[in-house]
Amino acid sequence: MDKVTAATLADHAANSPKQAALVRKIRIEINGLSLKRAGRIILNRLNLSLANRGITAIIGPSGAGKSSLLRCMNGLVNDWQGEIIIDGVASKQWPCGADALRRHIGLIAQKPTVFPCSIAGNVLFGIRGKQRRQDNGELIESCLKQAALWDEVCDRLDHDAQTLSVGQQQRLCIARALAVKPAVILLDEPTASLDPRSKNKIEASLRGLATSMPVVVVSHDLDQVRRLGGHTLFMCDGKLIEQGNSETLLSTPQRVETREFFQWSMCDCPTDAEK
Amino acid sequence: MANRCTQVLLILLALPALAVPLACLIYLLMRGLPGFDSSLFSLNFSSAGFDDKHSVIPQIMGSLALSVLSCLLALPLAIGLSLYNRLYAGPRSKLFMQHLLTSFQSIPPLVYGLFGLLIFVHFLGWGLSLAAGTIVLAMIILPVLTLNTIHAIERVPQDYTDAARALGMSASQIIWHVWRPRAWRSLLTGLFLAVARTLSETAPILFTATVFSGASWPDSLLSPVTSLQTHIFYLAQEAVDENTVARAWSSALVLVTLVTMFSVIAHLLNKRHIKHG
Amino acid sequence: MWLRSWIRFSVIASLALVLLFVGFLLSASAPFFFNYGLSPIIAREWYPYENLYGLLPALIGSAWVIVIALSLALPCGLATAIVSVEILPQRYHGLINVCIDILAGIPSVVYGLLGIALLLPWLENNLDLLSGHSLLAAGLLLSVMILPTITRLSQDALRDVDTSYREAARSLGLDWSQRLFSVLLPQAWPGIRSASLLATGRGLGETIAVMLVVGSIDRIPQPWYNLLAPAQTITSRIGREMGEASVGSSQWSALMACALVLTLSVLLLSLLAQRPART
Repeated sequence: MDKVTAATLADHAANSPKQAALVRKIRIEINGLSLKRAGRIILNRLNLSLANRGITAIIGPSGAGKSSLLRCMNGLVNDWQGEIIIDGVASKQWPCGADALRRHIGLIAQKPTVFPCSIAGNVLFGIRGKQRRQDNGELIESCLKQAALWDEVCDRLDHDAQTLSVGQQQRLCIARALAVKPAVILLDEPTASLDPRSKNKIEASLRGLATSMPVVVVSHDLDQVRRLGGHTLFMCDGKLIEQGNSETLLSTPQRVETREFFQWSMCDCPTDAEK
Repeated sequence: MANRCTQVLLILLALPALAVPLACLIYLLMRGLPGFDSSLFSLNFSSAGFDDKHSVIPQIMGSLALSVLSCLLALPLAIGLSLYNRLYAGPRSKLFMQHLLTSFQSIPPLVYGLFGLLIFVHFLGWGLSLAAGTIVLAMIILPVLTLNTIHAIERVPQDYTDAARALGMSASQIIWHVWRPRAWRSLLTGLFLAVARTLSETAPILFTATVFSGASWPDSLLSPVTSLQTHIFYLAQEAVDENTVARAWSSALVLVTLVTMFSVIAHLLNKRHIKHG
Repeated sequence: MWLRSWIRFSVIASLALVLLFVGFLLSASAPFFFNYGLSPIIAREWYPYENLYGLLPALIGSAWVIVIALSLALPCGLATAIVSVEILPQRYHGLINVCIDILAGIPSVVYGLLGIALLLPWLENNLDLLSGHSLLAAGLLLSVMILPTITRLSQDALRDVDTSYREAARSLGLDWSQRLFSVLLPQAWPGIRSASLLATGRGLGETIAVMLVVGSIDRIPQPWYNLLAPAQTITSRIGREMGEASVGSSQWSALMACALVLTLSVLLLSLLAQRPART
């Protein structure tokens, strides 16, 4: 597949000069990424590049390798072939090791996992060492605000995080990932199995984040992809089939695989069960 | 770097857990093996215990008799209790049973030994006897065996039971045709582990069942026996003669072999159970 | 029908045994408490021939032995569990488990024999003692004996930590030791706690091995931290004197009082260990 640049397409996101100062430049290039699991090919020589900011949605049938792609980028999975280059540095040669890479590339899992401690403790969970002992009130507030959770929990930051609803827990996980100041945020179906209200809140949070950093969302929900706007990639069988502006891709898909997938999704058939 | 240091430190801390058992085993083999000769397993066991060429066959028979009999005594009770737990007990009595069994499991075997000494040896006047030792060991093993049996029955999927009940099968039919085929292997595993466990108990039978010498093979349930465990204990405490000490080591090796044999059988049963799944 | 009567028989027989056991413990030790009150628990002298029954030396001895055993076995057992679950690859797990199984499979009387043959001479030679029989010897031996309990239960506790917690911590970029201290150990803590409580209970009740190496002399260590002196634990006292005491004598009921104290403390530990499982 051809290498594509998402940067220019994502640039439509509004950014005031003030926000521009916050923007961290990042460029991720993925060349020929392949991954095998138990003899099965999960990712097949995938090429992709992401830059600067804006939302990139990844859609595709189950088993297309969407989640695995995110896990390779974050470094949770390490036995892949090919190269992932972040700001000109190959991710396997990342200066301070794989753990530092994972702080750089935030990943939020499909099912929220909050640790059994307070809400504030969860936000600060990834922060260790000297910085943890400082007064982190402002950091907690800004992270929770970006995750659209601050209004709901600002008066009970010391409560047990596991008493929150699942939707709130998912936003808490977003705040927790933001607290370690990642350059990019990857989300693996963040709104699967959530109610519409929580979905809206998370989408609002993602649109806000996209003004300052690249946000990659794996989604099964085509309406959500349309709502989020930005750029969309369609993956199938570990390959990148098609990509482009969300609106264009969803209305006029070019490839036959994409059209088929949309047909299945439109008639509301369980695409998951197929593969 | 800090990770490396922590890991190296942890590995250093864990080394004794690898070195000590291997050292114990090797030392045991070194001291015990030279004593393995024909006289150790001679069937002519008239000689008294302090003789440095005495046979340990009576001790082996006594140990096996005590532990096998006690486990066979405890097993029906354990099965009965776990069936009660599954069939009749409500949530509250289940919880009560769980706590009671765990508590009695934690009571030191020595205290059961005292119980046996007072009740069976003195109160009922059985004297030091196979029966008293067997009942004491059965009491020690009963909570363990019951908890294990409850666990084995609970692992039979509820769907099977429901399906069988829907077919109109009676409780005893369900037990025999649905639970037994699924649970017997882990039940047997538990039984073998229980035998291994009772074989290693010394304190409770010291006052209730065993004498040092003079007993070869018990004539009846009420006659005293000798056992490997207590034999080693007496020799370890009192023997000064080099050859007699060697007998203690050989007996220890025999005992460890017996215990290992039973737990290996249990492990094999358990492993195949998991594989078949 | 036979099924019903069988179940009924086992329940009634077990309940009868439980009641008989409790009744035995209380009635056999009651004369002691009626005659001497509770003061012997803190009295220092134990001379059965002069009717002096102070439990304190044995209590202190038991406490010292278990403290030594725990302070050695807990770090080692926990480290072994962490090494086997978190550091070593799968194929070495068998080796560690075999080693732990060997330790668990050696009967306590054989530990006693090993203690007499190896530990006592070693202590005598290296620490220049008249006799190796000491609190230290008993503690060392006991630490080896409770090591398998601690290791196995801690291994289970670590394995039970949910994968999603591990992955969440990993994807936040925490490194290995940060994950260990902020996720794994706190999550596994209830299991590790009950492992140590159960091991303490087992250690307190251990008789034969301790009896063979502790020296069985009813003395409070002088000074209190002198671990190299022979002493007495509750179990070793019961084991030593049970054969001599005639049933019904005051010595017998004093020993039963020891057994009652032992049982109560072990039951307390077992109840504490069971508590987190209830929630």
